[in-house]
Amino acid sequence: MENKEFIFKMNGLSMAYGDRTILSNINLVVRPGEFWFLLGPNGVGKTTLLKALLGMHQPQQGHLQLHPKFAQGNFVGFVPQRCDLNPTLPTTVKEFVLLGLAGIRTSKGAELERLRWALEKMKLEEMIDKNYWSLSGGQRQRALVARALIRRPKLLIVDEPTKDLDLTAANALMESLTDLNRKENLTILFVTHDLTLAAHYATHIALFFDGHVEAGLCHTILNQENLERAYGVPVSIWQEPSGALNVRINGTGGLR
Amino acid sequence: MIQNFLSSWGLFYQTYLAGWLIILLLSLIGVLVVGRDQIFIGAAISQASTLGVALAMGATALFPEDQFPWIHSTIFLSAMAVIFSVIAASITGQGGASGKESHEAITGWVFLISASLSILIVSHSPHGLEEIHRLLSSSIIGATAVDVWVFGILTIFTALLLTIFYRKILLFSLDTSMAVAIGMRIKTWNVITSAWLGLAVGLSIRASGMLYTFGCLVLPALVAKNLCREVRHMFLVAPVVGLLVGITGFVLANGYDYPPGQMTVTLFCLLLVLVWIFRRLGYKSGL
Repeated sequence: MENKEFIFKMNGLSMAYGDRTILSNINLVVRPGEFWFLLGPNGVGKTTLLKALLGMHQPQQGHLQLHPKFAQGNFVGFVPQRCDLNPTLPTTVKEFVLLGLAGIRTSKGAELERLRWALEKMKLEEMIDKNYWSLSGGQRQRALVARALIRRPKLLIVDEPTKDLDLTAANALMESLTDLNRKENLTILFVTHDLTLAAHYATHIALFFDGHVEAGLCHTILNQENLERAYGVPVSIWQEPSGALNVRINGTGGLR
Repeated sequence: MIQNFLSSWGLFYQTYLAGWLIILLLSLIGVLVVGRDQIFIGAAISQASTLGVALAMGATALFPEDQFPWIHSTIFLSAMAVIFSVIAASITGQGGASGKESHEAITGWVFLISASLSILIVSHSPHGLEEIHRLLSSSIIGATAVDVWVFGILTIFTALLLTIFYRKILLFSLDTSMAVAIGMRIKTWNVITSAWLGLAVGLSIRASGMLYTFGCLVLPALVAKNLCREVRHMFLVAPVVGLLVGITGFVLANGYDYPPGQMTVTLFCLLLVLVWIFRRLGYKSGL
C-alpha cells in the first residue's frame, strides 16, 4: 500500500538562473524515513534543488509542496559542506551546537535537553566542553550535524559531509546518520559524488543529468545504463556476496 | 594621582563619561568585527567617516553660512560622519564570493580613497586641515552632554539587541551559510548591521577621533578573544576589560598630563601583548 504521507513533493519543477535553465520538469516525492542520495556530475543542479528546498531560490515553473504537518516550525536541518566560523575564535562544542537554535524560542531546560539529545545522537557527549577547534575532522563534521539536529528537523539535508574525511571518520559519520534515519525516522537528503556510499546506504536515489532527475528506489536507479548516461563514462556495477551493491567508474583507477 | 583625577571631574566629567561609553559601545560591536576576522574594516570605516567630515567642511567653504546655516552646524558634520561610515560599512560587506573582488581588496580601497580624499578636500583650508588632523590623532577633550546621552542610549540599545537577538546576530556574523539555511534574510541583516556599525563608528569619530575609535573597536575584543573560551563570554569580558583600561588610561593621562585617547589605546596594546604572552605560556604548560 502506498504511503500517502509525504515530506515534500515537486511537481513539474523547473529552476533557472536568468535565462539559463538548470533543472526542468522535476517530479519528486520524498516520504518520511527515506534516505535519499543526490548524485550526478558537477553543475547539474543538485545544489540548485537544495536551494529550492531551503527557500533560497524560487522555482521558475511548477510547484514545491511541503506537507502542512512538516512545513510548520523548523522543517529543514542543513549541514553545509564547510563551516564559515573564524578558526581563531574561541568556541566550545556546546556553544557551537547551541548556535543551531537561532530563531527558536525554548526554555533553558528544553535547550539543554535538545543539546544532550543532538550530542548523544552524534556520539559527542564527552566533547561538550571541548574547544571546537581541537576536534578531529570527523568530530567537527558530527558537530555540524548536531548543530542541524538541535533544531529537531523533519528533513536533514547534508551536503558532501564525507568529502574531506578519512575512511574511518566517514564510516563513523555514515553509521550515525543511518542510525538517525532508522531509529528516529528522520528523512535525509545526502549530496555526494561517492557512488559506493550511495550503493551502501541509500534507500532512494535521485540521479541528476542534463537538467533532468531520474529518481526512485536505490536498486532501480543505480544501474549501468543510468550511470553511464549521467557520467558519460563506462561504469561497472556488481553485487557482493553480502548482497551489497558496488560501483566503479572505469578508468578512474578506483571506486568512487 | 586619583585625588587629582577626582578634582578634575567637575571640569571634564562629560569627556570622561563619553570616552568610557564609547569604549563600552564599540567593544560590544567589536566582538562581531573581530569575530569575523575583519579588523581592517574598522580602520576603513573610521577613515571613511573622516572623509565625511572633510566633505562637510569642504561644503562650508562653498556654501555661505547666512544662506545655508545647516551646512555649518555640528549636526551636519556628525550626519556626514555617520552617512560615510554607513556607506563604507555597506561597501566593505560586499565581495568575497567567487569571481568577485576579495573583502580585503575592497576594504583596502575604501581606506585608501578615504584617507587621500579627506586630506585633498581640506588641504587649502587651514581650519579644515586642523580638524582632520585632530580627528586622525584623536582628542576626546570637549565632549558634550549630548555626546554622553547619545552614547549612553546607543550602548543600552546595543546591549539590548545583543541580548534579544544574540544567536541570530552571532550566526549571521560568524556563519553566514548556516544563517541563510535557517531562513535568515541576509540582505536585511546586512543593511541593519552596516547601519548600526556605521552609526556607532561615525558618531565616535566625531566625538573622539580615528585612533581612539579604531582602538576601542578592536582592542578590547582582541583581549577578550584571548581570555575567553566562548564567544558569549567575549561580550561580557570585552566591555569590562575596556572600561577598566579606560578608567586607568584617563587617570594616568590626567596625572601625567598626556592625551587620554592615546594613553588608553597604548594601555590596550600593552595589555594585548601581556595576554598573548599569558596565552603562549598557557599553551606551553598545557593549560
